Amino acid sequence: MIIIHPYAKALINGNRNPKNYPYWKELIELIDEPIVQVGVEGEEQLVPDFRKNLSISELKKLIAQCRTWIAVDSFFQHLAWESGKQGIVLWSVSDPLIFGHPENINLLKSRDYLAQNQFLWWDLTEYNADAFVKPEEVLKSL
Amino acid sequence: MPKVLCSVATRGRYFTTLPLVLNAIINQTTPPDKVVIFDDNDEPQDMRKEMIYQYFFQMLDIKKIAWEWLFAGKKGQHHIHQMANTMGYDWVWRCDDDAIPEPNVLGNLLGYTSLENIGAVGGSILTPPNLFDTNKSTGKIKDIDSEPNIQWNYIKKTKEVEHLHCSFLYRAGVHDYNLGLSRVAHREETLFTYGLYQKGYKILTVPHAITWHMKNPEGGIRSETKREMYEHDEQIFRNIVGHSDRTIVVLNCGLGDHIVFNSILGSIPNPMVFGCYPEVIPCRSIAEAQALFGDLDQWNIYKKMCQWNWKGSLADAFRKLYL
Repeated sequence: MIIIHPYAKALINGNRNPKNYPYWKELIELIDEPIVQVGVEGEEQLVPDFRKNLSISELKKLIAQCRTWIAVDSFFQHLAWESGKQGIVLWSVSDPLIFGHPENINLLKSRDYLAQNQFLWWDLTEYNADAFVKPEEVLKSL
Repeated sequence: MPKVLCSVATRGRYFTTLPLVLNAIINQTTPPDKVVIFDDNDEPQDMRKEMIYQYFFQMLDIKKIAWEWLFAGKKGQHHIHQMANTMGYDWVWRCDDDAIPEPNVLGNLLGYTSLENIGAVGGSILTPPNLFDTNKSTGKIKDIDSEPNIQWNYIKKTKEVEHLHCSFLYRAGVHDYNLGLSRVAHREETLFTYGLYQKGYKILTVPHAITWHMKNPEGGIRSETKREMYEHDEQIFRNIVGHSDRTIVVLNCGLGDHIVFNSILGSIPNPMVFGCYPEVIPCRSIAEAQALFGDLDQWNIYKKMCQWNWKGSLADAFRKLYL
């Protein structure tokens, strides 16, 4: 079983979070394994098994049961890292050298897309789908 | 050569002690690289129209000392000093607008900055006609209520202390002023220099650097009379000093940041944690931290990483802040 955590925290200004991966549906079609989506109420459901609003301890139990996981740059990648389970992080504008963990597979298309200031609210950064790797590349790392 | 900024915060003293202070700064034997006057007057004036100030500005130009007159935000001198603290200089010499330094003060204070790990250096601050008996003064924060400040008399030899008063030279950009204090900014310099001391920097009182404090009950950067402001600031001071044996940790940040911080928590000596996610790290609330310590920006990890132009990992940034 694979866990996916598709969405970073919603932005206060209502804009699309520039850290959110644009090709989840295409990626999910390529994966030939049971998938559990985790997230919060209000996020789009991408697979039949969507577990919403789990507590930290419930998430940890689920992480312990999965083969691996795929997530955007969000709290989930830190929680899975803390649990010692290796997974894939899909990066775009935030810097994996600052916010990532070398124990994970950090897929960043190019450092050219990184936001100039990494420490401001992400509301101020424009969404750019080109900044992400394509689903085929993610599959190669899975 | 290290770059030195001289900052003067002023309010209500255009025509009393401020001209004396500016004259004394201009006539230092070792001049600063730049003088910034932060004008915090309720009704600021264009001082270029005043003859005496015209002369001051011309003297600064002739001596090739850069200068700037900035209109401050009327939020208190701690905000002004924090601005000076982050202007990109190596050292800041802060001069009160009623404290007149003798000509050798900056040169003598600067002489100590080449010693290892110096955070701040201060000389005597003499308020005529008083000369307090400071022979037994320790300069330790625990004795602040029971002894006169060492700086209130002639200083005979260099001494390491834990806090300074009034005017002094300090290492810029390594510790923030507490912006949670009220506009009177009661105890602001004590808190600032004690914060430098807590970060492991040496605080020195030194001889042969005398500043004459022409204390004037009228005007001044602290010319507020509301007792509540003093009580508010005093409470923050007491809380900070009262927790000096603890490492205060404030995690006013995201869930992921808490998880990353958790990986270094074990190496922090005697921590007291305030945070947002008690299910990740047992902690007290951010509101409580704000009530106890005033401003929390000194613990804002994102602001710190921005200030440091940080390129390393988040965990290493937490280490730099707390270890």
